[in-house]
Amino acid sequence: MSLDTAAPDNTPHVASVVSDEVVIELSKVNKWFGEFHVLKDIDLTVYKGERIVVCGPSGSGKSTAIRCINRLEEHQEGDIIVNGTVMGTNLKNIDAIRRNVGMVFQSFNLFPHLTVLENCTLAPIWVRNLSKVEAERIAMEYLERVKIPEQAEKYPGQLSGGQQQRVAIARSLCMSPTIMLFDEPTSALDPEMISEVLDVMVGLAESGMTMIVVTHEMGFAKRVADRVIFMDQGEIVEQNTPEEFFNNPKSDRTKLFLSQILAH
Amino acid sequence: MTDTMQTDAVFHPKPSMPPPPNTVGVVGWMRKNLFGSLVDGILTIGCLALVLYVLNSVLQYTLINAVWTANSYRECLDINKGEGACWAGISVWFNSMMYGRYPDPEQWRINLAFVTLFAWMAPFWFPKVSGKMLVGASAVLTFPFLAAQLFLGGETSLFHQAMVSVALVLFITVWLHVGTSYLMGRSIGDVLVGITGFADKDDRLHKWVHMGFFGVGFVLAFLYQSSWEFVEVPITVWGGLFLTLVISGIGIASALPNGILLALGRRSKMPVIRVFCTSFIELFRSVPLITILFMAVTMMPLFLPVEINPPKLIMVIVAVCLFSAAYMAETVRAGLQAINKGQYEAAQAMGLNFWKMMALIVMPQALKLMIPNIVGSFIGLMKDTTLVSIIGLYDILLMAKAAGQNPTWLGFHTEPLLFTASFFFVICFCMSKYSQHLERTIGGGYGRR
Repeated sequence: MSLDTAAPDNTPHVASVVSDEVVIELSKVNKWFGEFHVLKDIDLTVYKGERIVVCGPSGSGKSTAIRCINRLEEHQEGDIIVNGTVMGTNLKNIDAIRRNVGMVFQSFNLFPHLTVLENCTLAPIWVRNLSKVEAERIAMEYLERVKIPEQAEKYPGQLSGGQQQRVAIARSLCMSPTIMLFDEPTSALDPEMISEVLDVMVGLAESGMTMIVVTHEMGFAKRVADRVIFMDQGEIVEQNTPEEFFNNPKSDRTKLFLSQILAH
Repeated sequence: MTDTMQTDAVFHPKPSMPPPPNTVGVVGWMRKNLFGSLVDGILTIGCLALVLYVLNSVLQYTLINAVWTANSYRECLDINKGEGACWAGISVWFNSMMYGRYPDPEQWRINLAFVTLFAWMAPFWFPKVSGKMLVGASAVLTFPFLAAQLFLGGETSLFHQAMVSVALVLFITVWLHVGTSYLMGRSIGDVLVGITGFADKDDRLHKWVHMGFFGVGFVLAFLYQSSWEFVEVPITVWGGLFLTLVISGIGIASALPNGILLALGRRSKMPVIRVFCTSFIELFRSVPLITILFMAVTMMPLFLPVEINPPKLIMVIVAVCLFSAAYMAETVRAGLQAINKGQYEAAQAMGLNFWKMMALIVMPQALKLMIPNIVGSFIGLMKDTTLVSIIGLYDILLMAKAAGQNPTWLGFHTEPLLFTASFFFVICFCMSKYSQHLERTIGGGYGRR
């Protein structure tokens, strides 16, 4: 079957920097929303520096899965270990994990009552106890990295969607996380703004960040991912390298999904 | 057609044309808003006539036929046959309506307290002053002690004297801070560090400089305030507008913090806290304020030991505080529910704990959304305090009624009520306007949406 993608295939794959150190481990994770079994025996091991793209139809549990990694959702069964810290009801452990795991949301979730710079310095000042000067220096560094230092004094409402999402990425990076989670970072953006956000994410990948990205941007997956995971009905149906995944999908469900997502 | 079909490389937008005449300017506005059709024209003229008629009657009553000097209500009636206001009575009763039976030679203490409060809050409106939250917090936390000392007088406990001294030091510090902010462009803290030569020392030493200055100020203030000898004014003679402002002021100041705590408690996942807060809110919201006031002054003393017999006013203030907190809790809860779940998630994902998330992310946004409702509650509370007149506290309303029952001023009812109403209008209108100003300015100046 033909699996042509709209994304340019000529761009080279970002060099892989996967080490053999395990940073995230999910084993037999189960979660229910009331009666609805949303995650079924999820097993996943993520190595340091690995870039994982998670895709799947809506309602497949992919967002829920990554939201369990920083406890925005509670799992009911199984173990989640992040950077050697066991996720449980212990608040100290949760705080420790959240300090190390940055997250970027589909709807940006910037704080509208604070300027861009204040958005970026808030957590470093109040969670990491940095001085204001130091926090602002770091914030400006990251705002430059996402190419919007000139917007530092503006409020989020004055920026375009793409700019807001880049601020959100910079805001997460200001906490110096070792792992970044992306929950459909480009789904709420106008088409012409998607690439500016993806460029920033590619740059982040080049710097060796461990990333788990829930996205439908298959071009991004081909270019950046070390592993692509396909989820459906709360299960991991298939996981493989991008070449294998796109060119030689194993399960029928994956083939159907790929044909639907790439056909248009 | 060829003009529009041309495909120049550069796009030139058409120039803007002026709008048709008669649609802009004064004439355009009048055509559109006043005389749009025959019916509109008739209505406009009719309303204009009505406005002029009412205005004329009001002017006749309040100014043209009004009596400004008289010694009794009878005298007023003899002069204007009851066709105008008797403002002379207001000047006779003015003092009572402001201060109740508070002794005349001591009334300056009330004035001083209110002037101090306004002076303390004034830096809020000075754009160059930094640390406005600290200014506000210092006033809210320590001014009540100073005010109590001024209002009550007499002997007080050592703790109270210490708090009064703290209040004095903080008040002076606030104004020194305003001075340094405007004259030197720096905060008082920086200036103190500068003149002691600690500027180039470690930041952590700076707080010791501040503590030192505070300690010296505290000792001086303590010595100064121990020289005060205020005559004791019993709480039972308080009255008039002063009493209204004390009750509503304490009610308003306590409503927001208590309301926030109750609202958070009601949304808490902990069952004991949630059930307690929910029952408290529902109980106090379902009972009329007047019932709560009656309970407070007639029934509460029956439950308390005989030795503890708090004055009526104290019971009333407690009742008003509980009542206003319950109402405020629901207002705050509404604001909290308007905040997007994503804001909580973003704050959590960045590692903020519950209280930091609430204080830094959720409350600032929720409070801004709630300003109209909060000020609405405040205005309602301000007006509700007149209910204390029913249980026999001589607030401004009961004083206004009392004026007409005095033998010399028998029948003098309308003017004191008008006067009282105008006072409430001025206070409440100012609150309303200030809330609109706040909506426009805080939280990034986004304005009203």
